[in-house]
Formats: sequence, C-alpha cells, structure tokens
Amino acid sequence: MKSRATQRCTTRRKSRRAWSPAHAFMVLGLVIFASDAPGQTQETLPPPSVMKKLSVDELMDIDVTSVSKRPEKLSGTASAIQVITQEDIRRSGAASLPEALRLASNLEVAQVDSRQWAISARGFSSTTANKLLVLVDGRTVYTPLFSGVFWDAQDTLLEDVDRIEVISGPGATLWGANAVNGVVNIITKSAKDTQGLLVLGGGGTELRDFGGIRYGGTLSSNLYYRVYGKYFDRDSAVVPSGRDATNDWYKGQGGFRLDWDATEANLLTLQGDIYDGRIAQPGTAGDIAVAGGNVLGRWSHTVSEASDFKLQLYYDRTHRDIPGTFAEDLDTYDLDFQHRFPIGERNDIVWGLGYRLIEDDVGNTAALAFLPARLSRQWFSGFVQDEIALVRDRLHLTLGTKLEHNDYTGFEVQPSGRLAWNVTQHQTVWGAVSRAVRTPSRIDNDFFAPGNPPFTLLQGGTNFVSEELLAYELGYRIQPHPRLSLSLAAYYNDYDNLRSVEKVNPPAPFPIVIANGQEGESYGAELTAEYRVTDWWRLRAGYTELRIHVRAKPGSTDTSNGSGESHDPNHQVTVRSSWDLPGHLEFDAGFRYVSQIENQKVPAYEELEARLAWRPIPKLELSIVGQNLLHNHHPEFGALASRQEIERSVYGKVTWRF
Amino acid sequence: MIFTGLILGGLNLTAQTDISKEYKVKAAFLYNFSQFVDWPAEAFPEVRAPLVIGVLGEDPFGAYLDEIVRGEKVNNHPLVVQRYRRVEEIKTCHILYVSQSETNQLEQIFTSLKGRNILMVGDVDGFTLRGGMIRFVTEKNKIRFRINVEAAKAAKLTISSKLLRPAEIVAPGKD
Repeated sequence: MKSRATQRCTTRRKSRRAWSPAHAFMVLGLVIFASDAPGQTQETLPPPSVMKKLSVDELMDIDVTSVSKRPEKLSGTASAIQVITQEDIRRSGAASLPEALRLASNLEVAQVDSRQWAISARGFSSTTANKLLVLVDGRTVYTPLFSGVFWDAQDTLLEDVDRIEVISGPGATLWGANAVNGVVNIITKSAKDTQGLLVLGGGGTELRDFGGIRYGGTLSSNLYYRVYGKYFDRDSAVVPSGRDATNDWYKGQGGFRLDWDATEANLLTLQGDIYDGRIAQPGTAGDIAVAGGNVLGRWSHTVSEASDFKLQLYYDRTHRDIPGTFAEDLDTYDLDFQHRFPIGERNDIVWGLGYRLIEDDVGNTAALAFLPARLSRQWFSGFVQDEIALVRDRLHLTLGTKLEHNDYTGFEVQPSGRLAWNVTQHQTVWGAVSRAVRTPSRIDNDFFAPGNPPFTLLQGGTNFVSEELLAYELGYRIQPHPRLSLSLAAYYNDYDNLRSVEKVNPPAPFPIVIANGQEGESYGAELTAEYRVTDWWRLRAGYTELRIHVRAKPGSTDTSNGSGESHDPNHQVTVRSSWDLPGHLEFDAGFRYVSQIENQKVPAYEELEARLAWRPIPKLELSIVGQNLLHNHHPEFGALASRQEIERSVYGKVTWRF
Repeated sequence: MIFTGLILGGLNLTAQTDISKEYKVKAAFLYNFSQFVDWPAEAFPEVRAPLVIGVLGEDPFGAYLDEIVRGEKVNNHPLVVQRYRRVEEIKTCHILYVSQSETNQLEQIFTSLKGRNILMVGDVDGFTLRGGMIRFVTEKNKIRFRINVEAAKAAKLTISSKLLRPAEIVAPGKD
C-alpha cells in the first residue's frame, strides 16, 4: 500500500513539475519515514519540517486512515437506512430513546402506557415485538423471554448519543437472528468528544422532573473518560375515561466510558452502566422493579486502510420483578470478533465469530410460569460477507451468510445478496434478497398459564421452530438538487412458521398450545424526503405504507388470523420542520399521522410536537417542549379492555455546558 | 479481565503522539492555505504584523500546528498560532479553524465574525453550506477540501488558483 502511494506521488511530481534537489529530498524524506517501521502497513508521517514543505497535491495524497472504520456513505448503501443524529434528537425534544426513535420514519413507534412501547419495523408490532434487533454500542438489548426489548430498562444520557442508525429490512447476515425486520443501532459518542461538564435539568406535566450530569476529562494525553448520572420521574398514563392509570415511575442511571487511543492503530473502549427504576402498579401488587447493569470492553485494531478487526466482550445483568406476574434475573455474556480485509482489488471481506451465554432465572407466580424456571443457553455464530466491486464505485454486489447454532433449533443459515448501482454520484438503485429467522425464545417454548399443572389455559410449544422470512427489497435514492434528497424503499416479505396458538382438544377452546401454524406475506414502501429550504429552514418528511396478511396454514387450528402477532397501521406520515431564528432562537415542530390499527380498533390519530429553544450565550440553552399537543389524551396501541391513553404534555429544560 | 489489563499495561508505555495523522495533515494544510490566500491590507494593523492562525474550541492539533508554522513567514508577516475558547476572544485573526466542538454554535460564530477578513476552515457537515469558506472532507482515507468562493469573496479574501484547482468548488448554499 505504502509503496504504491509513494510511487504515485513520485510519478505525479515528475509529470507536473520540473525535478529539483528539493523535491528529491522530500521524496527521500517520505520514503525514509514511510519505511522506518518495517512490517507495518501504516504509513508514518514525515516530521513537521518536511510536512510543511509538501504541496497541496502531496498532502492530498497522504493516507490518513483513522482507527475506526469510517461509516459508509449513506447514499451508496444497499439497504433502507435512516440515521438520527445528535442534533436531530436535541432539536426534537425527545426525552427517551423510544421518543427519539419516532424520528425514524421507517419505524412504527407507539406508546402503550407510561413506560411500555410497541416498536417495530415493517410490521409485527406489539409490546413484545420480536423481529427487531436493538443494539446499544454493540450490546444487544434483548430479552430471551420474548426476543424483544423492555424499553423501560433501556436508557442513556441522550446528550451522549452520537447517532442512531435505523435499518428497516433484514440485517440477519451481519447481525444475526432476530434482525428479521430491522436493526436499530444506538451509538454513543467517544469520551474524547464529551469533554467538559454538562448539567441539565427540568420538569413538566408528564415528565415531571429530570436531571442529568456528565463530566468528561483526560487521564493522560490519549486516554479520555466520562462519567454520567441521570434521573427522571414520569407521570402515569390515563385510562380512556381520563382517570389516572397508576403507572407513574422513576428511574436513575449512571455510567462511565473510557476511550484510549493507545496508538494510531489501536483503540480501546471500556464502558458500563448501572440503573434502577420503580414503576407503580394499580391495586396491591406492589411496584415493578427494574434494575441492571452492564460492562463492555472493545479493542479495535487497524491493520491497514482496507483491513481492521474488532474484539468485543460484554456482560449484562438485568433484574425485573413484576409482583403478581413474574420476576426475572438474566445474565448475558457475549464475545464477538469481526475482521475485515481485502482480497485483490475487488473483494472486501468481513467475517466474524460470536458466542453468547444467557443464564435466566424466572420467578414464577400462580398466574403464569416459564418452565424450567432456571435455564442456561448458548449461541454460537459465524458469518462471512464479501463486497465485490463489479465496477469500481459504480456497481457493488454484497454476498454473505450467517451460520448460527442455538439450543432450540440447532443450526440456522441466513444468507443475503445485495446489489447497489450508483447510477450517478447522486443516484443509487439497490436491490436485495435475504433469508432471516427468528429463533425461539422462552415465551414460545416455556410459557405456561396458569402457573401450575395442568395448565388449563396455555401451554408452551416444545416443538416450536424458528419463524422464517424470505425478503425481497428494492430501493432508490436520489439527490436531484444539493438541497433536496429523496429515498424510496419497497419490499415484499414472505413469512413461514409464524407463531400461532393451536387448540389442543378441538373444538374445546382451551387449553391452547403455542405452535408455528401461521404463514403470510407483507409488502409496503417507505418514502423519505429532506429539503433544506434555506440555510435556516430544514424540512423532512416520511411516508410508510404497510400491508400484512397472515393466515393459518393448512391443518392448523389457529383462529387468531395473525391478530396475535401483528398490530400495525397501514399508513404513517411524518413531517418535521426546523427553523433557526434570529436572536439565537430555534423553533422545531413535528407532525405525525398514524392510521388505525384495525385488529385492535385503535383509531387513526394525528399529533403535534413543538420545541422552542433560546441560547442567550453559547453555554446555556433554555427550551420548552410540547408533546402530543393536539389532544387531551389519545390512544396509540392496545386492545380496548386494557388500553391506556397518552396525555398532552409540556416540559421545560435548562442545559449548561462548561 | 483482558481489557483492564491492556489499559493498565498501556499507562506505563511511553506516551504516543496524541495527535491523529488526520490532524497533522490538516495542520499542514492550514499552513499551506496561508501561502495561497491574499488578505486585504486592512487585515493587518501594520506591515510586519503577524499572520494569525486561530483555533476556536477544542484543539485537535496540539503542539503540532505550532511546530509546522515555527519560523515561517508570509510576505513578511510571521506566522503565529492562537487558541480561543470563545468567539468573543478573537481579535486579529486571518485563518480560523473552527473545531468540531463548536458544531452547535456555527451559526452564532459566523454571525459574529461576519464582515471580518477571516478565512474560516472546518470539517463538520454543513460547514460551507452555513457560511464557512473551506471544509475538509476525508474521502477514501485522503483529505480533500471544498471551497465556497462566494463566502471568501464576501470576506474580501482572494484564493489562489493553485488552491482552487485541486479543490471542489461549492456553490453558495452548498456543502
């Protein structure tokens, strides 16, 4: 690599300019300094005295490979990806991760009550949605109880979030089982980028009071750290009559992150969080307790411009006690290795190995039981992916597969093929075919009701196999004008072995047993547009269309017709506007329309968010945020019998940065 | 655990250069810019006044930038480096590198420096769109730069064709 760069440098110089002793010296300097670390593919820079004599052209020829792999340019990727930036989160007034996820128009985000959310991509939404993989800094926030996310346990200081990448469509080849309909990657900033003190606080009608503090510093010249703590107290949702639903709650969380740029090629990260929350329950059952912590270490090594590897290890513990329902203690140990390297000029290979151990201990009640109560499970996985430059910078084919072994179904293969054609610099067409599976979770195999034999209501499906998806995707992105970009993704998903509830002794309705008796298909499209009207006005819009048809397979006695698995609106529209006003003012507004959820009879609704912020001095920001402004309260999700509604809310916030 | 071991082990190592290669190259570019930009006479209080390269916000260059400009002159103006924590601290300044730490204050910085003969350089998204003159872009691990000629003209700066040729020229309102 290095010698090629030097050669190129030399030929250039010869062709453009007369040769002189000074040039010869500089080239010699470059060669000497480039070669003084034999065996290393990283070029070393000449000293400042030589550097300042280099011409602009020569400077432009120097390789500045950074340690972390540069994020791929969005415009060229062969998947439906949206990125929520720190600035987007700040200007939206989102106060929690689920609220921030509302900014991705390719997700369905519905608030169920004060703490529960139904979040999914491309359908199959529920509070226990199981086809979306969510990661925080490479840590899967996943409960093996139902293969989904307890959103009340997932939080971070939102000011520390660098970006959230939201991929709709399967990501199983790279990310593994569970990345069936989408992947959400929450990425926090390096400690290097959060130096100094940040203090924030505020309060309002629903988010009653909250506060956060973060301090970032430098331990030695290239070892950075930050520590943070945060707290919030949220009011209850209401039942449809407007009465309080008795689920107000509070939670505190703290954590740290260390980033050590050991050398230009080695980056080490150690981070961790600890949290504790209490959620009120109506009646005498007592508060729900949510607590946990995690610690993660990562070593990233850059071998060369085109090659790097990453080794990551984490431990995550969660504790959840829902008095009267169940309790769970969960320990996850996860080891992950990824390596990227080129073969020849055209092939970019990524491969990896993973191991996960989950130890789960459930406290059962008379109402329901997970049996056996204590369980230890292991996952082994490997993947390989080759990105082939059929025509450099124009036509890229990505082929890959994941091979995974789990204790329930043994080996699972999840291949995908993706083709991206950069028609012009500002226009990309892409297509993909992928297979993805959702492997069984405890709710499929081990779930029984009531909690003691003979389980007259519900019995776990000991023969439960993985749910399968074959997905076909097509996308188009264009930037017709520097201020305008448009993106369209369309898909057709073919599902098999979807979860069903079958009668054990038909026609007797009970007990029912969990099985794989459903199949179906979904199709739809996601359209997004961004328009920078002027330097001070930015508009973004999103539209999604989604159709799902789920039916019982031949011979199945399932009668739910998909209603147990899929609670989805057919259309969603979002529009956001960001204004920079004179006098250091910012005004942001967000509108959303969500069509009805037919099988839950949740009516269509539209809602409005608005934020006004003032920065009298750069250090200080004062803002006022209104959420769900159009109704006193409105429902977003849930069957009528248990439905709760979300109230209009307003909060004020003060942020100080030193 | 291995990570703790590596971190503790690493503390005993001699400190490596803490400035990334990217910013060393960018420091050399800043010096290069001083050679290829003409400032109006009123930008210098006197004939031999120094040409000031300023860094606003978190400094990614460290001592490297000082080493690059040490002993250098442009048209009899000795080069000096100054660092500012706040935009209000900026007095005489000719090239201003606006650090990534100031991303959220760009508008305010540009507003308060409007009309000054300062070549504003940065590397964040939207830098030239919002009024900066030169934005560094890393493409395929190499540094490229974009120049907003209109913004430079508005600050009465003339950029030499030697700098314009390898750059990508962006229209006003583009980044």
